Amino acid sequence: MLRIFQRLWQVNWAEQWQYRANLVMYLLYWLVSPVVYLAVWTAIADAQGSVNGLTANDFVTYYMTLLIVDQLTSEITIHIFGYKIQDGTLSGELIRPVHPILTNTLVNNVAFKALTLLALIPVWLALGLLFRPDFGSVTLVNVLLAAPAVALGFAVSFLLGAALTCVAFWSTRVWSLYELYAGLVVLFSGQFVPLTLMPAPVQAAAQFLPFQLFKYIPIQIILGRLTPAEIITSYLSGVVWLAAAALLFRAVWSAGVKRFSAVGA
Amino acid sequence: MHALRLIGAFLKVNVQMSLAYRVDTVINLLVNLMWLGWELLSLSIIFSNTATLGGWGPGELIALLGVFRLINTLMAALIWPNTERFNASVRDGSFDYLLLQPVNSLFQVSFARLTVWRAWDLALALVLIVAGIGLSGQSATPAGVAGFVVLAASGAVVIYSLWIVLIALTFWFTKFDNNVTILQALLDTGRYPATVYPTWLRVIVTFIIPIAVATTVPLQALRGELSPAQVAAFLAVGAASFLAASQVWKYGVRRYSGASS
Repeated sequence: MLRIFQRLWQVNWAEQWQYRANLVMYLLYWLVSPVVYLAVWTAIADAQGSVNGLTANDFVTYYMTLLIVDQLTSEITIHIFGYKIQDGTLSGELIRPVHPILTNTLVNNVAFKALTLLALIPVWLALGLLFRPDFGSVTLVNVLLAAPAVALGFAVSFLLGAALTCVAFWSTRVWSLYELYAGLVVLFSGQFVPLTLMPAPVQAAAQFLPFQLFKYIPIQIILGRLTPAEIITSYLSGVVWLAAAALLFRAVWSAGVKRFSAVGA
Repeated sequence: MHALRLIGAFLKVNVQMSLAYRVDTVINLLVNLMWLGWELLSLSIIFSNTATLGGWGPGELIALLGVFRLINTLMAALIWPNTERFNASVRDGSFDYLLLQPVNSLFQVSFARLTVWRAWDLALALVLIVAGIGLSGQSATPAGVAGFVVLAASGAVVIYSLWIVLIALTFWFTKFDNNVTILQALLDTGRYPATVYPTWLRVIVTFIIPIAVATTVPLQALRGELSPAQVAAFLAVGAASFLAASQVWKYGVRRYSGASS
């Protein structure tokens, strides 16, 4: 199995490397919105000292950490797998004795991440020079505590994204559905602002949704803003969501594959 | 007159194409409404934490959101679909047929494709602008409104000119099919007044990829912050950029040598 992953890594890394110009453009595209909100909120915090207890530096460190965490936990399954269901190229992968999504697509996601992170490093350092964050609250222990949370966040987001992509077995309108889902992620994950600034109903709902696992929770752990009790509850809810997402993906996948009739092949 | 009849013909073709996907249109409208709700929510979150943003009140930011959506509609309804078509036609050589037709090539490249349902976006943007001005409470002077309208139009021309230059680069670098991503990427900066950004970002969105010229500047005219000389200067920039862009286009077309022959 390890050898299979090794080989898939070589193929997918090479494939992603081929599109490095696209990747830089994608990075730029994805970068602008957090940087805009960083600028907006630091301007507000600078003008009035603090916002709801958050200083300008709190915002800078939040968004700078978000850039990394978001890159680590996001997934691109619909972009690299959706078309395979629609144009029938999936049939070739179904013949192989390994799960197409849990091997090939997963590794492609990771290769994409690795390459984007590589490109992000210089940009991130430049932003650091421009905004001068004080990462004094970040300790090695925090980072180590956050690492499994990041992995958990990616696992849940990957499985939910994959389950959603499998809706393509039934409908060609899967893209609109995905956009709706992306809207929910933006609203409840803490991508726009630290969740504590959101209206109370949004914050309450976020507690019962998986999306804060993608960004808000890992960021807060890294920045040392969660109590040990909060960290433990977050991990527990993370594990529950992982199980739920895995079950959902399994159900959607096995029902979908039965419907698949290899269009055009 | 001739140009109007052509646009009418283009519009007819595009309406027919979109009628084939009626349900998708409805879904697109719903998704679009969701993002509008999201944009208004984010403004309400900002203004529940502060009274003004860089000196701008909520009404003015709603009007700015309207102008931003106007530019966004220009991108989504015209620029994106036509870029896709144009890039493909240069790569496979079908641009030949376009050149053979007795119509200005730039005109055809710009207006052949139109995402029809985006007309809805246009209407929404206008509603946001009017509502925003109404909410901002300050009595808009006729001069301010006039300055706003002409500068919004000239700002759109600046963005359009930059687009022409970006796609014309395809004549030199055939594989340059990422050409408009940079425009789309920086577009998000247009949601907020450029005056709140740090200097380096303000320089980028004003001079290099001039999103702010099409969004922040018209609003500044409406707020009466621009002198007549400044308004004239921005109009001159609009005219100059269009002239420069059409020259680049002309040189580019002259370089084009077809792909098939």
